Amino acid sequence: MLETRNLDKSFGAVHVTRDVSLKLERGERRVILGPNGAGKTTLFNLLVGELTPDSGSVHLAGEDVTALPVSRRARRGLSRSYQKNTLFDGLTVEENLGLAAAVHAGHATQLWSDSLAKPEVREIVREVAEQVNLVPHIHARVSEISYGMRRQLEVGVALATRPLVLLMDEPTSGVGPEMSKGFHDLLNNLPRDLTMLIIEHDMDLAFDVADTITVLNYGEVVFDGLPEAARGSKLLKEIYLGSWEDA
Amino acid sequence: MFRHSTLRYITLALLTSLALFQAFTAAYFGLEVLTEILILAMLVVALDLVAGFGGMVSLCHGALMGVGAYAYTTVSVTLGISPLVAMAGAVALTGAAAWIIGAICSRSHGIYFIMATLAFGQMAYSWVFEAPIFGGDDGLGGIPRLDLGFLGIDLNDSRSFALFCLAALGAVYGAAVLILRSGLGRSLSGVMHNEQRMRALGLTVWRVKADVFGLSGMIAGLAGALAAQHIMYISPGLLAWTVSGEALVVVILGGLGTLVGPLVGAAAFVLLKHELSAITTYWHLVVGLVLIGVVMSRANGIFGWIEARWGARLDRRLADATRKSAPEEVLNDA
Repeated sequence: MLETRNLDKSFGAVHVTRDVSLKLERGERRVILGPNGAGKTTLFNLLVGELTPDSGSVHLAGEDVTALPVSRRARRGLSRSYQKNTLFDGLTVEENLGLAAAVHAGHATQLWSDSLAKPEVREIVREVAEQVNLVPHIHARVSEISYGMRRQLEVGVALATRPLVLLMDEPTSGVGPEMSKGFHDLLNNLPRDLTMLIIEHDMDLAFDVADTITVLNYGEVVFDGLPEAARGSKLLKEIYLGSWEDA
Repeated sequence: MFRHSTLRYITLALLTSLALFQAFTAAYFGLEVLTEILILAMLVVALDLVAGFGGMVSLCHGALMGVGAYAYTTVSVTLGISPLVAMAGAVALTGAAAWIIGAICSRSHGIYFIMATLAFGQMAYSWVFEAPIFGGDDGLGGIPRLDLGFLGIDLNDSRSFALFCLAALGAVYGAAVLILRSGLGRSLSGVMHNEQRMRALGLTVWRVKADVFGLSGMIAGLAGALAAQHIMYISPGLLAWTVSGEALVVVILGGLGTLVGPLVGAAAFVLLKHELSAITTYWHLVVGLVLIGVVMSRANGIFGWIEARWGARLDRRLADATRKSAPEEVLNDA
C-alpha cells in the first residue's frame, strides 16, 4: 500500500534520512521507533510531500507519488496527524471534522451550498466523532476541550479524509497515562483495512498496536521486523529499549 | 463559519434604517454623500472578504474598482453598448482579472502578498494612465447611468440612484454572507486558520484563494461600475494605490473580519471626511489619529470594540430572556 525506495534527505551537511526503504501492506500497522533526531518526522514529511527527497521514491497503492504535491497525495489517500496539534482553534469539533470530510466528499469548494449540511459530510463527521470518542463534545470549540481530546481530534481530522494510509506523528504526545490507555482502544478499534504508520515513544502503545516495528537511528533503518523480535533484539535493548525494559 | 450575532443584526437593521431615512429625506448633497458611502461600503465588503476572512491583505482592490469603472465606461461610452450589458461585462471582467491576480499572488504570504497585489494595482494604474483609449490623464466623461425606464425608475435622479446603490449593497452583503457560509467559505476559513493543515487534508489551497479573490473582484468591479455612473466621469486616480490603502483603512477602522464593521467604517470615514474637510484641509491627519487610536486600543475597529463590550452580554441577556419566557415543559424536554 505504501512503499519507499532508497529515500535520502540531507539538510546541508546533516544527513537526516539515509537510504530508507519500507514496505507497508494493506491493513498493516507499523510503529516507527527511534531516539530524538533519528529522522522520524522528516520521514513523515517526505512521505506526505512536505519535503522533497534528494533521491529515492515514494509509492502509494503501487503508484509513484514522489513528484506529487501534498494536497494531491492527500486526495489519493495519504493522510497525517501532527506531533503538535494543528487544529482549527476557533471552530467546533464538528466543523474541524467537517472541513476534512468536505475535502474528501468534494464539497470543499462549492459555492452554492454549505459543505457541512451535505449528508455524506455529516455521515463522515458522525462516524469519525464516534471513532475518536468525541461525540459528546461535537459542538464544543477546540479551545473548550481538554488537551487529550484535542489529540484525539487531531487524529480524527486526519481520519475524516477517509485515508488509505494514516500517518500519525506521536498521537499520545503530552497525554497522561489514563488518556494514553484510551488511545490504545481508539487505535485498535480503527478499521482493520486501514494502513497505519505511527511514530510513538509510548512503548506500551507501540507494542500493543504494532504488527511490525521499524527503528530509525541517525536517519537509517536499523531494525525492521515483528514486535516480538524487537523485544528480543539485543541491539535495540542496548540502544533504545534499555530504559523502557529497566522501567 | 461566519455567524450573525444579535448585535450584528441590530447594527445591520440600524444602518439600513438610517440609509433609507437619508435616501428619502436628504437633499442633493446628502444623497451624494450617501451614495459615496454605499459605493465605498461595497468596496470594503469585497476587501473584508479576502483580508478579514482569508488573510489576503490586498493593495489592489482600488485598482480592481478602477478596472470595473473603466470596463463599464469603455463598453458603454466608447463601444456604445447598452449600459446593462456593460455593467455585467465590467463585473465579469474584473472578476476574471482578480481571479488571475489571486491565483498568482496566493503562492505568497504576508508582506510579499501585499507587495504583489500592489504591483498588479500599479501596473493597471500605469496602463490606464498611458493608454489613449482610456483618455490618459484626462480620463473619460459622459458616462451614462443604467436605464431602468422599463421599471419606471429614472436613475439620473439622485434619490433613485442612491436607493439603487443601497439595493446593490444589500445584494452584495447577502452574496458575501452566502460565500462565507458555503463550502468555499468554510475552506477559506480553514485556510486562514491553518493553511498547511488544509493542504495536508487534500485541499488545493491556491484555488480556494483565487476563487474567493475572483468573487471579491466581482464585487469591487460592481462598485467601480457604480462609481463611474455616480460621478459620470472617471480618471486614473481611481486606480491609484491610495484608494486601496484608504479602503484598507476603512476596513480596519470598522472591524476586520466582521463584514458588518466595514459598513460602519465606510459611513464613519466618509462622514469624517466631509465634516472635517469643511473645517480643515488637513483632515487626513485627523483620520490618521483616529486610526492610530483604534489600532492602539487593540480593539478590532469601531464595531469590534462595540462587539467586544456589548455583543456577548446582549446574546446572554437574550438567551436568559428566552429561557425565562419558555414554558416549563419545554425546558424540561430540552
